Amino acid sequence: MDERRVVITGIGIVSAAGVGRDVNWANLLAGKNGIVPTTLVDVSDLPSQVSGQVPEYDMSTYIDKKELRRMDRFTQLAVSAAGEALDQAGLDIARDGDNIGCMIGSGIGGIGTLEQEFDVFFHKGAMRISPLLVPMFIPDMAAGMTSIRFGLRGPNYNTVSACASGADALGTAYEVVKRGDAVAMVAGGSEACVTRMSIAAFAQSRALSRNNDPETASRPYNLERDGFVIGEGAGIMVLEDLEHAQARGATIIAEMVGYGQSADAFHVTQPSENGEGAARAMNMALKKSGLAAADIDYVNAHGTSTPLNDKFETMSIKTVFGESAYTVPISSTKSMIGHTLGAAGGIESAVTVMSIRDQKIHGTIHLDIPDPDCDLDYVPEGPRDVPIQYAMSNSLGFGGHNSSLVFGRYQG
Amino acid sequence: MRRIVVTGLGLITPLGNDVSSTWDALVAGRSGLGLLTRFDSSAYEHPIAAEVKDFDATEHVDAKMLRRMDLSSAYALAASQQAIADARLDMSSEEGARVGVLLGSGMGSAHLIVEQQAVLDEKGPRRVSPFLTSFMLPDTASGLVAIATGARGPNFAITAACATGGASVGEAAEIIARGDAEVMIAGGFEAPLQPIYYAGFNAMKALAEHEDPKKAVRPFDLTRNGFILGEGAGVLILEELEHAKARGARIYAEWCGASTSNDAYDMVAASEDGHGIGQAMRDALKRAALAPETIDYINAHGTGTPLNDRVETAAIRDVFGEHADALMVSSTKSMHGHMMGAAGAVEASIAVLTCHHGVVPPTINYETPDPACDLDYVPNEARTAEVRHAMSTSVGLGGHNSAIIFGRWEGS
Repeated sequence: MDERRVVITGIGIVSAAGVGRDVNWANLLAGKNGIVPTTLVDVSDLPSQVSGQVPEYDMSTYIDKKELRRMDRFTQLAVSAAGEALDQAGLDIARDGDNIGCMIGSGIGGIGTLEQEFDVFFHKGAMRISPLLVPMFIPDMAAGMTSIRFGLRGPNYNTVSACASGADALGTAYEVVKRGDAVAMVAGGSEACVTRMSIAAFAQSRALSRNNDPETASRPYNLERDGFVIGEGAGIMVLEDLEHAQARGATIIAEMVGYGQSADAFHVTQPSENGEGAARAMNMALKKSGLAAADIDYVNAHGTSTPLNDKFETMSIKTVFGESAYTVPISSTKSMIGHTLGAAGGIESAVTVMSIRDQKIHGTIHLDIPDPDCDLDYVPEGPRDVPIQYAMSNSLGFGGHNSSLVFGRYQG
Repeated sequence: MRRIVVTGLGLITPLGNDVSSTWDALVAGRSGLGLLTRFDSSAYEHPIAAEVKDFDATEHVDAKMLRRMDLSSAYALAASQQAIADARLDMSSEEGARVGVLLGSGMGSAHLIVEQQAVLDEKGPRRVSPFLTSFMLPDTASGLVAIATGARGPNFAITAACATGGASVGEAAEIIARGDAEVMIAGGFEAPLQPIYYAGFNAMKALAEHEDPKKAVRPFDLTRNGFILGEGAGVLILEELEHAKARGARIYAEWCGASTSNDAYDMVAASEDGHGIGQAMRDALKRAALAPETIDYINAHGTGTPLNDRVETAAIRDVFGEHADALMVSSTKSMHGHMMGAAGAVEASIAVLTCHHGVVPPTINYETPDPACDLDYVPNEARTAEVRHAMSTSVGLGGHNSAIIFGRWEGS
């Protein structure tokens, strides 16, 4: 099988930092905090009352009113982000639709719809349940509806690996293009978890910050960090066969060069000792890219702001990078938009790609009290101009799923 | 190119809780359907289900973990342990990082989420289980199998509605093909027999109705009127050929190729022209480098809904041309019901067993031919026949399609 090179030709993002990739990028570079008091649902009795909500926006750009009601929020966010990415890529879908696929990762799918229908079931009875409960809830529907909306008939499904879901969707889609099963893939992650059940459950598992001050709740690598802040959004990119992109004269934003994936096989919530599993995923991504750790000029970290994650991820970066761990700049997008769970890998990969495009990285905000266990360069001072040839985006999920993606500057 | 073979199978189905009892029932043409007993179903006129019976997970799963996990995860773990034992795969002597897990589910932990939603509503957020987030996602089972077995390689879940199992087994094989693992524990699982989901499927008007539960599912029959929800799990041990040979493993069949596609047509209904499932079948043949004439048997999606069986028949005719009349096509859902995310994996396992045993299980309840369904559906009685290659097809809500091909193992 001849292996193809895979490039990025489109980016779409909706997150707490705004609607659209340009707004997101500008706000992240400005170090603007996107965490707000939660208003999407009643949180008055919940221990965590702040979140990374997507600001209210006009969804009609890509979704008509009737369709909107047939989609859970995680699907709406996905279709919006996919639309933006596809507009930028300018693919000829009418011609190539059979060979363009879609993989959008989501951790839990339409949990908001399920919570609503639960109410219907208990207050009005089984016969009042919506015929759209099942299709709106199932986590593959972001990929399904995106394909239906835009006419993408190639390989299609959702990958789930908790907080690495979006990264694995991108990684799997990359492999699909690389092996020649599609000329392009619309891939990334989407999640709409700012719901009562999700917040209650993550709070009970002691993963969420108990700090309800939106200005300081999400503070990766800070000594006083006490958990993540739940967020929502979607980050989706168009991955394309290089030759296909060249033939149609597309603007190439960056290249995707490697994907590594591993399991801790250790514990359902805790990372394995010394971040061994995460290190293996990074090493696998490097090996498949034909790169050494020292070739990586920027790491967009998982950096959730939980005490364990940030410490263990730092250890795993040291394991993989050796001496260069202390010189490679590392930042956490979650410091500004919270943890978007299954969307995180999608959004953060898109941010990594824009970093390569502009040779500029955003900082980690809220890092005023350094943790001695987290002693790398997390870019606390804010945006920085950095020459980037290759950059890595890491995602680590509950259940011990680790995923690492490597992107590179595209040079003719 | 790396070749991939199937060396172990594990099945928990409405027909039996292991491979041999399930296979015996399939060959005997026995129905696993019956009246729904899992919860109070008095609101329904025809409460029918394909339930797993006398399932005892403690044989395979630690009792403490079992209390925390969803029934669907227990099915997945049990089937995985069976498959590993069947393959005589000694995990203590395997290199854990080269063994991965990819178990898909359409909905994940259906029971657990709803139970905890009731706790949230009735007792408040501080009574929600601290274990919920770790056990509620569709990737939970893949993570748990890794922890139980030490399989530290690639690990995630795929969801593609009713095409989940097929897509999961196909992608797992690709992971071995590209060299990211030597062995994959791959399959699908589902436990949808829960009041709210059942109400959701009922509201979709997709469930079959019949006085005699055992006759409720009648794929390809003129009088068919829907599908019946089933549950269980199917797990295959996929292994790189040289790895299997080196340890002297028994080989059931060879994985030849697979593909997925999307109709890009409608959220619920299949595209009338069968374009999407036809494309998946064509692409799978292409990936396998096989001519249509080399396929002897198709384990069809064959749900028993008026639309599906007609569309699928048309697609088979379109892809296979004249050879369609020489094909044996059966729907084993007539016996084990529609196992949702598990269906594609269970049916892929059945396709493997037809190649291995040279026996094709029938479509039962086939009495009145439908002029729109005019293939050889192996009516009512199993047939002894040489099966060089068998294909398993799946079609899901959201427009997802999958096709996967296995070949008889000739010993070289």
